[in-house]
Amino acid sequence: MDPLFWDALFLSLRVAALASGILLLAGAPLAWLLAFRRFPVKALLEAVFLLPLVLPPTVLGFYLLLFLGPEGPWARLFGASWAFRFEGLVLASVLFSLPFALTAYREAFLALDPNLLEVARTLGVPRHRILARVVLPLVWPGLLSGTLLAFAHTLGEFGVVLMVGGSIPGKTQMVSIYLYDLVQALRFAEAVRASLVLLGLSLFLLALVRALEGRWRSWRSTTS
Amino acid sequence: MALLEVHYQLNRPVRLEARFQVRGFTVLLGQSGAGKTSLLKALAGLLPAEGTPFGGLPPERRPVGYLPQDLALFPHMTAWENVAFPLKGRDRKARALALLGRVGLLEEAHKRPGELSGGQRQRVALARALARKPELLLLDEPTSALDPLTKHQVLAELAALIRKEGLPTLAVSHDPELAGLADWLVVLEGGRILQEGPPEEVLAAPRTASAARLLGFENLFPARVVEGGVEAEGVRLRLPLPPWARPGGRVYVGVRAAEVIVVREDRPPPPENVLEGLLESLYPQGLAYRGRFQGPLALTLLLPRHVQARLHLAPGRRIKVVLKPRYLHLMPGEAKEGL
Repeated sequence: MDPLFWDALFLSLRVAALASGILLLAGAPLAWLLAFRRFPVKALLEAVFLLPLVLPPTVLGFYLLLFLGPEGPWARLFGASWAFRFEGLVLASVLFSLPFALTAYREAFLALDPNLLEVARTLGVPRHRILARVVLPLVWPGLLSGTLLAFAHTLGEFGVVLMVGGSIPGKTQMVSIYLYDLVQALRFAEAVRASLVLLGLSLFLLALVRALEGRWRSWRSTTS
Repeated sequence: MALLEVHYQLNRPVRLEARFQVRGFTVLLGQSGAGKTSLLKALAGLLPAEGTPFGGLPPERRPVGYLPQDLALFPHMTAWENVAFPLKGRDRKARALALLGRVGLLEEAHKRPGELSGGQRQRVALARALARKPELLLLDEPTSALDPLTKHQVLAELAALIRKEGLPTLAVSHDPELAGLADWLVVLEGGRILQEGPPEEVLAAPRTASAARLLGFENLFPARVVEGGVEAEGVRLRLPLPPWARPGGRVYVGVRAAEVIVVREDRPPPPENVLEGLLESLYPQGLAYRGRFQGPLALTLLLPRHVQARLHLAPGRRIKVVLKPRYLHLMPGEAKEGL
C-alpha cells in the first residue's frame, strides 16, 4: 500500500487521539456544569457549543483559518500561526467533535441518581472521595463511549480539516482527504483498499461503544 | 428513651413549620405532598432550612443517618463496601463486617444491592448509616420498598433493631400500619404539626377529620350534635359526648372499618346504633375481608375471615351492623375542612 496512506492514517489517528483526550479532560467538567449548574446565559452557551453540529464544516473551517492564520488574532497573540499545522488540526477537531462529546457526557451525568450523591454527602465523606469512588465508577462507561464516539467522528472529518490544514501530504493530509485525492486522481483500486481499512476501523469503534453502553445500562438498572 | 426536640422551618419546596419531639422510634404521618421528604432532607442538611438541631451545618458535618425512599445504595459496591464507604483506616473492612453482623447480614456481605431483597437492602442502608455514628436516624417511607406480604414482619424487625441501637429515629410515612410500631406518633398536616403523642393515644383520638383519615379511619361523616349523640346524614347515633360538643354544633364522626360490627341474628340485638342495609361487595384482603355496606350510612367494613365464614357473608346479602358508641370517635368540624 502507498506509504502516504499510512502517513495520512497515522496523522488522523494522532489528531483524533489528542483531540478526544482534550475533549475528555475539558469536556467532562463542562458537561457537569451544563448538567447540574444553573447560571445566566446558559442556553446561549449551550447553543454555541452545539453550533458545530449544524454549521457547514467549511464555514467553521473558514472562520478557524481566519482566526489561526498568519494575520489572525491567534498569531498576533501568541506569535505563531497554527494554520496548516498539526496543532491547528487538533484544535479544529476539538471544536468539531465538541457537541458529540458534550451530549454523551451530559447524558452520562444526568443518568446518575442524585440521591446517591446526596446520601454520600450525609455520610460525611469529602467531595473528592465521592467523585473518585461513586461518580467516576458509575459514569466512566458513559464518558468513555462519548470519547470513542468523538474519536471516530474526528477520523471522518473532512471540510474543517481541509480548510484549516490544507492537504500537505505527510504533514496535514488526513486520511479522509487522502482518499478524496485518490479518487480525484482516478486511483480507484487504492481508494477501495483505503476505504476498507476505514470501514473496518469505524465498525470496530462503534461495536466498542455499543458494548460500553450495554455495560453502562446494566449499572444504571441496578441503581433504581 | 432517647429524646430529641426538633424545630424546623422551611419555605421551599413547601412552606412548613414543624415543632415536635423525637422519642425512640418516632413515626411522622402525613399525606403525600405534605412535605415529609422535604423535612427529612432539611434535617439532613440537603435543603436550605432553619432550625434545631444541626441548623446551619453542611450535610457532611451533621451526625445524621439518612435513608431515602430508594435507599440509594451504591450499585457498583458490594454490601460491605457500601457499609465501609464512610469508614476510614486499615480496619475498615473488619468494622464494616461487624456492622453487617449487627444487622444480621454477615452472610450477604459480598453481594451487590441488586442481589438483595428489599428488607436486606434496607438493613445494608441502616448499617451504612450506623457506620457514620449518627445521633439521629431519618427514614423516608420505609414501607415503600417492601414486599406487601412480608412488610409487617420486616418493619417490626427493623424497628426492633433500631430500638436495640437506642438511636432516636424519625420515620416519615403515609402508611398507618407503620404507626402501630412507633414509640411516638406525630401527625403533619397543612405545613404544621397537628398532633403528637404516644401512638395508642393518637390512633384512638385523632384531633381532626383529616388526621383521622391519615390514621386509618375509613368511615368519616359530617354530623350535628344532638341530645345524647349526633345526627349524621339523617341517622341518629348515640354516643357519650365530649365536653366541647355543644348541641347543634358541627362535628365529624368516625369509625374504623375493623370496628364496624356485623350483628349476629342468633344473639339478642344490641340496644342502639343498629343499621340495616345491603352488603354491596366483599372481597378478600390478606387474611381478612373488606366489604362495602349500603344502608342509612355507607360504610367500609373489615372482617376477620372467621366472621365471614360463621355468618356466611356474601355480596348481595341484607345484613345489620352496629356502631358501638365506644368505637365512635367525635372530632370538631372545621369550617374549611375538605374531605
